[in-house]
Amino acid sequence: MSAPFLVAKGIVKRFGALTALSGIDLEIRSGEVLALLGDNGAGKSTFVKILAGAHAPSDGDILVEGSPVMFSSPKDAASAGIATIFQELALSENLSISENVFLGRELKRSIFGIPFLRRQEMRKRVDGLLTELDTHISDPEAPVGSLSGGQRQAVAICRALNLNAKLVIMDEPTAALAVAETRKVLSLTRRLAERGCAVVLISHNIADVVEVADRMAVFRRGRKVAERLRAGTNPEEIVSLITGAHPDVRALEKTN
Amino acid sequence: MTRLRTLQGPALILSLLALLWAIVIVMLLALKPSVFGLSTMTTIIQFSTILALVSLGQAMVIMAGGAGIDLSVGGIVSLSAILTMLFLKLGLPPLLLPVACILIGVLLGLFNGILVTKLDILPLIATLGTFFIYSGLALALTGGAAQSGVPAWLLSWGRGVVLGIPVPFLTIAMPAFAFAGVVILWTAWGRWIHAMGFNERSARLVGIPVDRMRLVLYGLSGALGGAAALISVAWLGSARPNIGQNLELESLTAAMLGGIAITGGRGGVGGVFAAVILLVTLKTGLLQLNVNTVWQVGIVGALLVFVLLADRLSQHWR
Repeated sequence: MSAPFLVAKGIVKRFGALTALSGIDLEIRSGEVLALLGDNGAGKSTFVKILAGAHAPSDGDILVEGSPVMFSSPKDAASAGIATIFQELALSENLSISENVFLGRELKRSIFGIPFLRRQEMRKRVDGLLTELDTHISDPEAPVGSLSGGQRQAVAICRALNLNAKLVIMDEPTAALAVAETRKVLSLTRRLAERGCAVVLISHNIADVVEVADRMAVFRRGRKVAERLRAGTNPEEIVSLITGAHPDVRALEKTN
Repeated sequence: MTRLRTLQGPALILSLLALLWAIVIVMLLALKPSVFGLSTMTTIIQFSTILALVSLGQAMVIMAGGAGIDLSVGGIVSLSAILTMLFLKLGLPPLLLPVACILIGVLLGLFNGILVTKLDILPLIATLGTFFIYSGLALALTGGAAQSGVPAWLLSWGRGVVLGIPVPFLTIAMPAFAFAGVVILWTAWGRWIHAMGFNERSARLVGIPVDRMRLVLYGLSGALGGAAALISVAWLGSARPNIGQNLELESLTAAMLGGIAITGGRGGVGGVFAAVILLVTLKTGLLQLNVNTVWQVGIVGALLVFVLLADRLSQHWR
């Protein structure tokens, strides 16, 4: 197995007196979909926010491709190749698909210091990405406000790909989607991994996760209580790990 | 009306404004045909120049969202004009007068921007405060008296007319609108302004420097106010402490009429320009017909409500 893209070692996050995360160790590998599971407040969102540079860890180290990193903003994380697709997607509905994909890092031609847009090129790139992901969106100039929830996910994924992200973090990508749309987004997730991206998926939906994830990490009360390969587990075990009914979790929680 | 239904966005706004403008012209033609002539057109454009510049700044600030509004524009115009003339009396080289006037506008605008972006004061409140500070200061410094002593070369620029079109309009207002239009439509900055105006959170998440953009736009609104002050000085031959009176209301009306969404993220500068011409034509017409100024304000307000209603209805039809 190749060296992991990102290694988190002993990540601790405290908000005042509250310890949101204690001693999280996790490896994230390229070409693999890793699912983070856990109940509300288990700490998975906090952990992902640390990876995305939105929070700084109180303690612990993050290594990207073997070298330690310190993220002080989402921009730092992005330049290390980590793209986060937030639940609210961070899309501007009044702009077109291609404008959204390039928002904040437009292709431009500077004339007297004024950044003129290179629309043709941006359009072409987005067209290519949309076809590559097999999204069935024909017009990159369509306003994002006219798209369905799943199509918006696809635009957000295009955005991440366009940043040459090596790790894409998806926070509840299927939470608000209809069944057919969910299928679409899950297959997009697989395709991302096949392209060699590392994918981290946060989800509440165990059926989705079991279908798409290669590896699963279960969070509970701020710690990672279990890690399972898809082949070595089943939905029942995962549920019992999440709820704390599993003997392993009980044993772990008793020792503290 | 069926054709109007199929139009959207800027095309709808522009055709509505053109329709209203035609109605104003026809009514004026029926009531007082004698006013029509090249000189009336020159007057309308001359009056439009100051309002157009101020409205452009107002429109950009509103478009960038975050409840953006600049109520202090009138104060900026008055105070930049007054301060420039006072500096001239204190020994500022007359050649630097145009630069000084615009620079003072920029500083006053940046002060608004700092209040809004760094101190997080609601724009409505921050600029209401600076509106009182700036216009009050303009009155206090002069005791209400106009400041004369404008150099002759500046007057010949301010009062010059080429082919019936005032020179300040040709040299400042038109380039300013052309530049702003190009920036909004064809540059990354334009995309950023629309993105942050529509959804500020997502704009921040993708790394757009929202606060810096906003600060610059308040500064720009100040610069345009300073340019308007310069034109008023060069045209009237003196700096008047009340020259900016009512500009905040009129520029807001022009921006709204011109299709700028008050919530931000929507609109272009072409509509604003058309709205300014419509407003000034209407005001000039009412003046020619000796309509009481109280009624003038009411009619402008009614116009605003009508256009907003039309925009609303056009969205219902779809």
